[in-house]
Amino acid sequence: MQKIDSVSRKLMLESLKHYAKENLPFDLLRKCDEENSFPAEKVKKMYKDLGINLLLIPQEYGGLASSTSDIYRVCAELARIDLGIATAIFATFLGSDPLNVGGTEEQKKYWFTKMARENLLVAYGATEADAGSDLIALKTRAEQIVKDGKITHYKINGSKMWISNGAIADLYTILALTPGGPSWFLVPKDTPGFTQLKHEDKHGIRLANTAGLCFEDVIVPAENLIGLKEGQGFLQAQAVFGYTRLMVGALALGAGQEAIENAIVYANNRVQAASPLSHKQGYMHKLIVPHYIKFEAARAFIDKIAKILDENNHGQATEGAIAKYYASRAANKAADDAIEAFGGFGYTKDFSVEKIKRDVKITCIYEGTSEIMEMTIYRGRWQEHLKTRGNFYLDMARKMEDIKEIDFGTKAIALGLKALSDILEECRLNRLTRHQYITFELGRLIANAEVAFNFVEKALSGKVVEGCPFNLETIKTMARINAKNVALDIATNGAKLVNSVLEKPTEKDFYISQITKECVGISKDMDALSIVLRDTFRN
Amino acid sequence: MIKQTDLKNYKDIWVFAEIDEITKQIRSVTLELLTAAKRLSGELNCKVGLVIIGQDNKKYFEEFAKYGAEIIYNIEDSSFTHYDTQNYAQILIALTKKYKPEAILYPSTYMGRDLAPRVASRLGCGLTADCTALSVKDGFLVQSRPAFGGNIMADIICPNTRPQMASVRPNILPKTQVNKIADLKIIEEHFKAVSSKVRLVKTQKDETSEILKLEEADIVIAIGRGVKDQKTFAFIKELASKLGAALGATRPVIESGLLAKNHQIGQSGVSIKPKIYISFGVSGALQHTIGMQNSDLIISVNKDNKAPIFNICQYGFVAEAQQIVPKILQAINKLK
Amino acid sequence: MDIIVCLKQVPNTAKVKMNQDGTLLRTGVPSILNPYDHFALAKALEIKKQTGGKIKVLSMGPTQASEVLRLALALGADESYLLCDRAFAGSDTWATSYALSCAIKKLAPYNLILCGQMAIDGDTAQTGPEIAGHLNIPQITFCTDVKIKNDILTATKLIEGGHQILEASLPVLITLTTPHNFILPYPSFTDIFKGQQKPLFTWTPKEIEADSSKLGLNGSPTRVSKIYPPAPKQKGQIFNLSSEDTASEIVKILQAKKVIK
Repeated sequence: MQKIDSVSRKLMLESLKHYAKENLPFDLLRKCDEENSFPAEKVKKMYKDLGINLLLIPQEYGGLASSTSDIYRVCAELARIDLGIATAIFATFLGSDPLNVGGTEEQKKYWFTKMARENLLVAYGATEADAGSDLIALKTRAEQIVKDGKITHYKINGSKMWISNGAIADLYTILALTPGGPSWFLVPKDTPGFTQLKHEDKHGIRLANTAGLCFEDVIVPAENLIGLKEGQGFLQAQAVFGYTRLMVGALALGAGQEAIENAIVYANNRVQAASPLSHKQGYMHKLIVPHYIKFEAARAFIDKIAKILDENNHGQATEGAIAKYYASRAANKAADDAIEAFGGFGYTKDFSVEKIKRDVKITCIYEGTSEIMEMTIYRGRWQEHLKTRGNFYLDMARKMEDIKEIDFGTKAIALGLKALSDILEECRLNRLTRHQYITFELGRLIANAEVAFNFVEKALSGKVVEGCPFNLETIKTMARINAKNVALDIATNGAKLVNSVLEKPTEKDFYISQITKECVGISKDMDALSIVLRDTFRN
Repeated sequence: MIKQTDLKNYKDIWVFAEIDEITKQIRSVTLELLTAAKRLSGELNCKVGLVIIGQDNKKYFEEFAKYGAEIIYNIEDSSFTHYDTQNYAQILIALTKKYKPEAILYPSTYMGRDLAPRVASRLGCGLTADCTALSVKDGFLVQSRPAFGGNIMADIICPNTRPQMASVRPNILPKTQVNKIADLKIIEEHFKAVSSKVRLVKTQKDETSEILKLEEADIVIAIGRGVKDQKTFAFIKELASKLGAALGATRPVIESGLLAKNHQIGQSGVSIKPKIYISFGVSGALQHTIGMQNSDLIISVNKDNKAPIFNICQYGFVAEAQQIVPKILQAINKLK
Repeated sequence: MDIIVCLKQVPNTAKVKMNQDGTLLRTGVPSILNPYDHFALAKALEIKKQTGGKIKVLSMGPTQASEVLRLALALGADESYLLCDRAFAGSDTWATSYALSCAIKKLAPYNLILCGQMAIDGDTAQTGPEIAGHLNIPQITFCTDVKIKNDILTATKLIEGGHQILEASLPVLITLTTPHNFILPYPSFTDIFKGQQKPLFTWTPKEIEADSSKLGLNGSPTRVSKIYPPAPKQKGQIFNLSSEDTASEIVKILQAKKVIK
């Protein structure tokens, strides 16, 4: 089967950009944001004209069967347009995922063909009032209706909340508890007894329709049980967590880039005290450059995990969590600073940074909050630390120490990884992970370390990620600064973390003085990046 | 075709004369080209030739001489009344081969830009489009032109081939009469028209004539992104009609649909050189200023005191268009 | 109707600037299909819809230029050809049009050649008519529309102050200028994917049987002797007045210039 090649990918992103330019100008987005309305026609037209909905549909059913590497780029580009619209489209992808993972051949053929032909908007219905990230507490039930000893139908009762596309989808993929366990059902919009509730009045992504769903004796044919086998629901949901969280990371990346690039263009044109803001060191070092370093680090990480998922199809739960956690936090901080970079203008609704700031918050919440991510990351890697007897990060550090090229930040990241290993070891010896806050913070340090490590590796590979606007030299500079910053953060905050719960301070110094020495040159590198950024996004 | 030509065999600098097919007037750019050719001929130590193809050409000769023409190559025939690429090109190619001019200047008009490349491709000589300045250095014609949407300037030379050909934008170079009119040498040449594969069905003056108007207006009012509302726009239209000014706009305004494409001033629109240019809400991006910076007098109103337009205007006013325009109208009305 | 459309990949010139040291600042400048060529392709697709036949698209440039050919294939072109070789590098319009005309001879038979009126990076508007000159076929330049009926082509051509309607027999070369408010078409994801399978050939001077002395920098009669930023402008007087005073000040200037009495 043929795959989408890199030129096609680029052309698709261009088509998407042009579609948005013609059909979704900022004034319209702003109006929808104000009115809390979903531009349904424009999105449907996007399905029809662009076929963006075909990305997740297998080729044999009229789709394009895109890879994870394709989808994440589309997600990032969509988020640049509007994170609400991106969410609506992503929800369609997500909604068809259980079918993709668990559907029978016949089910796939029927439903995917229908989705492709009729441009259906799909919703993914898992979340309930008491079952967010913890799906065990699921209350929506599907009872068997048996006729002549055969299950012919299921009767669904219960409710869902915060469902993207909730009030506007054509087709719903619903998680409900059957006698055999949690299972996914396909429920068309007009099924009797199925009602959609009011669109929520949200802080951001106001263009995405979010609503509750209500099921009162909703009867669906047994053929609508995905996989035709009860109890597969969790497996089907879990199998794609790495994937879906990676996509949220990509969404955050797109939104964050949009905010900072807007700020840079503004800074290039805003002259204060005889020079543009973009020529002022403090402004750039503080408000602009650190964010773009993190975006490129996130991009390299997301790209790597996407490639792994393209090979293996599922898994990567910890990595998906890292991608989402890292990118969403970076994007939120960036959007926040973008407003400041715009000064008073940024605080008005005339500029998109105000909207992006509200929108992007959701990336820290949906598909699991940042705290759930920290926990997931910590749990995943704690196991590795124990299993390898503390060598998990030491191996990575050694790998970096073996590299001769010094200006990639290899030395700094090696020290940071050794420090991380020491911190985990201190936690083990003193049983510090009894403290929930420590596990959260470990999750944070781990995410930063792994993203920074991968960024250095990517720079060492001599290639930049497809779609990255910079050359290798710039990526190298970014990876180097990032490695130093992360190493210092691990050492200082790790030390603080450990000592904060110990009776007596630890004797470990977590390589602090060595890492501090590595910080030589950061300022000069930041100056160089300031110039690259203001030149790259000049108008 | 391209070879190291014996450069010394080529002399004189020619101008291709363009007569407006509708008004039968000499297009002003022809006189600008003659002025430039005259200046360059001094440095190249050669004569200024002019090629005119058409009908009843003689009535224009005196005017050509006033602007520096010394030799006129006159090709008159009723079959050349209307411009035709193939016929005009074959004439120029033949004349060039026979008389070997060192340089030929064409107006950068629809006609000149159709003809010059056709001639160049057949002669194998260099051609530089849309020049904004011409000079001589080391005996070469240095042809200066904007590139990359006006973001850079480039100097072009043709080291090995002759003639050196250039088309020159109208309304950029000055036109100046010579102090002493030379004795005109008229060379009549005769050509037989070939039957052309392209047939003119009709010529129509239409709303694109506003391009003409904008280009030739003495007063131009230009609006930029700073003019957002229909009300201010209506006031500006009223002001324009009061002053007898043509309306122009920057690209963003054209793209917003407020005015049709033929009102666009600048790199991808028309170049203007009015006596007075007044702008409202124009920031002065290079894409725009390249098309108006040669205006004799530039008056600009913009709310941003750092707007680049203030770097090139003679009178800059830091103010919002929507407040100023109605007040100007009031003041003018009071005068009457 | 067999149509050849010439395409060029260009930097989005709105973003090209000059460094202080006189070199071109091209970082962050995306490459696009020259918009006039994009319009020419749109017209070719329109004609093909009526008359049937084949559209072959032709470009010259580095490997990366195949992207614009892929865009054309996605939009509905049938075959694509890229002239890509070191020998072509540094060509001016003369050498470019020579190489393209050699390739077009190889692509014969054809009824119609469509080109954009100019490329936005060079703004010369020369390559189209020069191709026609090399091929010695008729040309109609600066057209806003082109239609074909019974093998007769009707073109709407801009002239100063108006337009002309011209008719021509085939073959003919047309250069097109995009009418305002024409929205350039972009392909759907499906068409982009389908375009992946369509033929894309890369040709060197050998395949087009070109005289190598007429190619590239050596075959180009013109030379760029210098590039530099446009000259900065002189400063005038700037007023910061109340709106009443601003208005009366402007009126005074207009009076002094005898625009109003």
